[in-house]
Amino acid sequence: MPQVLSTREGNLFRTVIKHYEDKQYKRGLKAAEQILKKNPKHGDTMSMKALIMNAQGKTEEAFALAKEALTVDMKSHICWHVYGILYRTNKNYDEAIKAYKFALKLEPESLQIQRDLANLQVQVRDYDGYVQSRFVMLKARPQIRQNWTALAIAYHLEGNLEQAETTLTTYEKSITATPSKTDFENSEAILYKNSIIAERGDIERALEHLETAAKNSLDRLAVMELRATYLAQLGKNEEAVKAYRALLDRNPEHPDYYRGLLGALEIPKDDQTSLKAVYDEYAEQFPRCDAARRLPLDFLTGDAFRTAAKSYLSLMFDKGVPSTFANLKHLYSDLLKKDIMPVLAEEYLSERKSSAEVKDQSKADSSKGEGAALYFLAQHYNYHLSRDLTKAMDYVERALELDNSNVDFHMTKARIYKHQGDIRKASLAMDHARSLDTRDRYINSKAAKYQLRNDENEKALETMGLFTRADTVGGPFADLTDMQCIWFLTEDGEAWQRRGNPGLALKRYHTIFNIFDVWQEDQFDFHSFSLRKGQIRAYVDMIRWEDRVREHPFYFRAALNAVKLYLLMHDKPHASNGVNGADGQKGDAAEKKKAAKKAKKEAQKAEREAAEKASKQDPNKASSSKTKDNEDAKKKDDDPNGLKLAATSTPLEDAMKFLGPVLEFNPKNIDGQIVGFDVYIRRKKYLPALKCLKAALALDKDHSRVREQVQQFRSAIDPVLGSLPPQVQEIIKSEFTS
Amino acid sequence: MDIRLMRPSDIPLVQHANLENLPENYQLKYYLYHALSWPQLSYVAVDVSRPKKTPYDQPKIVGYVLAKMEEEPTDGVPHGHITSLSVMRTHRRLGIAEKLMRQSQLAMVETFGAHYVSLHVRVSNKAAIHLYQNTLGFDREKTELKYYADGEDAYCMKLDLSSIREKLREELEEEKKEERKKKKAEGDDEGGYEDEGEPVGDVGRDPDAKKDEDKKVKVKVGRALGVGELVERVESTRIEQ
Repeated sequence: MPQVLSTREGNLFRTVIKHYEDKQYKRGLKAAEQILKKNPKHGDTMSMKALIMNAQGKTEEAFALAKEALTVDMKSHICWHVYGILYRTNKNYDEAIKAYKFALKLEPESLQIQRDLANLQVQVRDYDGYVQSRFVMLKARPQIRQNWTALAIAYHLEGNLEQAETTLTTYEKSITATPSKTDFENSEAILYKNSIIAERGDIERALEHLETAAKNSLDRLAVMELRATYLAQLGKNEEAVKAYRALLDRNPEHPDYYRGLLGALEIPKDDQTSLKAVYDEYAEQFPRCDAARRLPLDFLTGDAFRTAAKSYLSLMFDKGVPSTFANLKHLYSDLLKKDIMPVLAEEYLSERKSSAEVKDQSKADSSKGEGAALYFLAQHYNYHLSRDLTKAMDYVERALELDNSNVDFHMTKARIYKHQGDIRKASLAMDHARSLDTRDRYINSKAAKYQLRNDENEKALETMGLFTRADTVGGPFADLTDMQCIWFLTEDGEAWQRRGNPGLALKRYHTIFNIFDVWQEDQFDFHSFSLRKGQIRAYVDMIRWEDRVREHPFYFRAALNAVKLYLLMHDKPHASNGVNGADGQKGDAAEKKKAAKKAKKEAQKAEREAAEKASKQDPNKASSSKTKDNEDAKKKDDDPNGLKLAATSTPLEDAMKFLGPVLEFNPKNIDGQIVGFDVYIRRKKYLPALKCLKAALALDKDHSRVREQVQQFRSAIDPVLGSLPPQVQEIIKSEFTS
Repeated sequence: MDIRLMRPSDIPLVQHANLENLPENYQLKYYLYHALSWPQLSYVAVDVSRPKKTPYDQPKIVGYVLAKMEEEPTDGVPHGHITSLSVMRTHRRLGIAEKLMRQSQLAMVETFGAHYVSLHVRVSNKAAIHLYQNTLGFDREKTELKYYADGEDAYCMKLDLSSIREKLREELEEEKKEERKKKKAEGDDEGGYEDEGEPVGDVGRDPDAKKDEDKKVKVKVGRALGVGELVERVESTRIEQ
């Protein structure tokens, strides 16, 4: 039986909670211990003590104590609630949900527990459970609009659009006073409802609702955009034209609006003159508008293209717009356009030469006029579809003759070196460009990237350190990790991998993996935050994006690297120096050994230094900073150089962590399927291997590596087929026919 | 180039652009906080011309403005604030920064009733100061000493948005007139319903600040680089007895 506290201790218990909420952990602990002295088996106090310890970073002790508390008092909702919180703060959401459900059974009236549970359910996408929870919460407090909106969201996410709409409508009907026009929550809830109506496919009704209920919405742009879309979808072209024109008046740099307008105007796709006339109208109306001048280059052909391209290029060169090439290179899929661009740029140069007066102007700013045209030509010949590196170098040198201190010119020179395959020179050239403008982080980042491409990890970090926060504990690297600088971590890892340091390479890839975990956890607070803010459409957007966050190429690249490295570690368990071996590169064995030794030494040195640093800083940190005491104690990294990661005896199993999301979220990326096969076939998981193989074949049946894998699968399966379970044999026989 | 609203899925590459361009960086959650509190205010410039290599390629973000409303304005006047603005070096001189700013300013007025917008800029950043002062019309309010982490001072700048407010008021009145005409033509003599004064008012604050009894606790999100902290309520750690 649970112990009962005296009045005095009951009060003391309340102060424990208070101290915990105020993050006065030491005081809270003291009070808890006072209670436990007299009542050592008081489950609620034990639980509170565990909760405080967890907040102080003593996770394991906290769990142990919370479990003990439960054995003492299994019928206490506090004990179960705390148990749930412990799991939740340690990101074990499924276990947390179980604990909360127990707590709720014991205390069904607790809105607090119910709300916590609901947030967990939406976090793990248990929409069924979320609907139930929000339903209970709505019944408890139906006067609050948030609760209605929340239930609608739950239905919406579950896919029950009709119920979602009904829920919103029921609330709307229940209010008697007309909401003020400045009531943001109301304005947004109406637009949210509108988006649901449209999602149900009833565009006619969506338009009607938009023009009546949502007409005065505070999000004017959204109303204008939705209206234009609906009108176009319904074929009400006359009104759609007006709607798109209104949008273009607001923002003439949004190509979608032009597309919408041209569609509503019903101009035939091949009527270039009429299409161009629409764009010209806006080019005239907005002298600083780029889109109206550039977009026609996409569809114009022949002489019309030549004329328009020439006038566009002249305008850009005169202004000295550095992105001219970047903004036009997509045209190069059209061979005629690709060939005419350098001709036009040359024409521009020779026409300028003949007029003497402009020549003086260009001396004032080398990035305009002649310099801009030369810069364009250098980029043109450096681009893979029109590459001629000798010419590219020639043009960039000519540009540099105009102005040897132009950062952009030097940057392009570095890129040309890179394409020539001289990464050392590329790195030096980019660093030179950096030195010409030391206040610009963009060129600084590029210099660091090129240093990494040249395997200069230490130097690159130094370069990055010129812009990271000086006061971050742990230096530039810690700052870059804190700030989730994925590009740097990726390039750094790849460089370590090339240098034969699988530990640090894996470390970087795992860090990136963890950043994606953090990004997924980041949404947690917004489940309640967004309801209060009322920005429902943005919240739903966020949920949809979070569902596929690992689709991002940032994830794919790091994960693919990691899987490949693990495969290599499996194939050559003794060659601890990463990559060089398997791809058949003829590296000198002795040199590799040397590199491995050097890398190991470096890693050990870095580890020593890190340990030293940590030992110096920790005591100060704890005592000198007042706020730090309240924050969760940061867990110390016990493997900063990835030595443990590299020492794994189960590389294929470790690879699965990275591979799973690759196959789930990037199924149409053939490189993912290829490494998927490689991992599964080594693990003798024949069915998943076959699945990858089939997916890869569907994407590109002529891919040479995939064709090799077909052979590989055959020779792997033939000797063992008879020993496999009959169903598996059956599937392989029917599916593997090639 | 495409100038459009920032969406949650843009955030990784907005963060990337920020890390490439500027020394003031933030964790992803801080961007989410902007995107989910004031989704109408942040804009991106996207390079849409890059051919996709895989179906998962993301559009490259070459510029962005990350903007917010001041949560608790000390002067009591609703106003916007520019948290971060940058354009890749390779995409300058197309007026992208100006275009991003103008879109954001318009939405600040329309959606949140902002009276002005403020920002901080490094005193050494001549190009940015020129943009704010000469192109956009900002005024220099004051200098904040050692505002930046590296010890540099900041100018605090402000732009009055009353011209946008005025234009919006006229537009709304025009719309109302149209409405009345339409209603009259339809034989409905009631007319459009009356506006209650201000077209857009003080709605930047949490509409449920009073309804909800949970107290506010400041929770640090990202780093306080003079950009304020995320006002978040910790509600789930409470225990009911």
